[in-house]
Amino acid sequence: MTTTRFHAPERLDEAIRLLAADDEARPLAGGQTLVAMLNADLLSPSQIISLHRIAALKGIEKRSDGSVRIGAMTTHAGLARSDVLRDGHRLLAQAAGRIGHEAIRNRGTIGGAVAHGDPSADYPPALVALDAVIEAVGPKGKREIPASDFFQGFLTTALGQGEIVAAIILPPSLNQARTHYEKFARVEGDFATVSVAVALWRGGVRIALGGVGPVPVRSAEAEAELQAGQLSDAAINDAGALLVAASDPLDDVRGSADYRRRLIPRLVKRAIRAAQAKDAR
Amino acid sequence: MSERVAVEFKVNGATHRVSVPATRTLMAVLRDDLGLTGTKNGCEQGVCGSCTVLVDGAPARACLALAATLPGVEIVTVEGLAQGDTLSPVQQAFLDAGAIQCGFCMPGMIIQATALLTENKRPSDDDIRHSISGNLCRCSGYAKVIEAISLAASRLAP
Repeated sequence: MTTTRFHAPERLDEAIRLLAADDEARPLAGGQTLVAMLNADLLSPSQIISLHRIAALKGIEKRSDGSVRIGAMTTHAGLARSDVLRDGHRLLAQAAGRIGHEAIRNRGTIGGAVAHGDPSADYPPALVALDAVIEAVGPKGKREIPASDFFQGFLTTALGQGEIVAAIILPPSLNQARTHYEKFARVEGDFATVSVAVALWRGGVRIALGGVGPVPVRSAEAEAELQAGQLSDAAINDAGALLVAASDPLDDVRGSADYRRRLIPRLVKRAIRAAQAKDAR
Repeated sequence: MSERVAVEFKVNGATHRVSVPATRTLMAVLRDDLGLTGTKNGCEQGVCGSCTVLVDGAPARACLALAATLPGVEIVTVEGLAQGDTLSPVQQAFLDAGAIQCGFCMPGMIIQATALLTENKRPSDDDIRHSISGNLCRCSGYAKVIEAISLAASRLAP
């Protein structure tokens, strides 16, 4: 059995240097997934590089252009109750409040959850619907990756060796949207069987589904149909069918693929109607 | 580079200094190093809630927190709730309402309920259900748990 070494650097560049030099090292954020994997003997990293002391990864900040930068070490609980997230951006706070249970939300972080890349998790569809950008930092410096390109497959992201999620950036535009996150899970706190993140604004519609494919599912045809049909019942029904066609669900303990296909149109309708009921900007 | 990490934190008001391997969880430290076996080891996946403790006042899963990441924090376990021989209002209400069956989930339930009543003095049944949704009881005795938390809330109400 190898012995795991522990580092908790105060500087981001030091964490990156340690991670880049050793591909068996693992970054630790809130630990709500990584420690569960350690407990199950699924991982035995050579080093744990804890990110909890790095000030550059903390805080939620509204920037002068109206965008919001969320430090990767922001907890789900911190995000859910943040008053920096307003109007359309509340979609992300709503998703954060649906993750696991209170004790998990108190320690789990957005950076860790996003880097894990679970397609049934709550952030991926919310971030895609909000056209968010993932700020990654690695040995070659900083880069910004659109959420729609970041999630590449089941537990697979665009992060390279030694690269971590440093922040999530919500662009200002979708703040004007009416948004809603609708989640169907077997029990409170479980991962989604199907989830729907929707953003509606004067010029368009974005919908992203969780739990029904290896990455968040969108359909340009469905979004065009909803816009052209002005969110009528008929347009929503057509969009639901198009999203079912675009999805690629699996059978697992949270529901069969067929069950998930049946849920999609119902939850899409519920999500759109709930978003419409929110105050327009 | 170190294989063991020295960490100092408070548990139930007393300062403890421990030297832990990198992957040692708070739960292992509490139970095996400090002998505080009130915190129960259930699933080790953060799902069952039986290891819930307060870290700086907020509920956390002791099984998912690495001790090495917790220098300077204040931890409260179920052993820290009573004042001498006097049970805390939540503990007393759990006894009085007959909420305790096998007892395994109770430390986590009681810690979670204590946190709820700190934040929300008059929780509805729905608030209570929501709060304890991450604490599994396999005796399936939730009805009396909800009664117990309501009872504690009513006794604590000004």
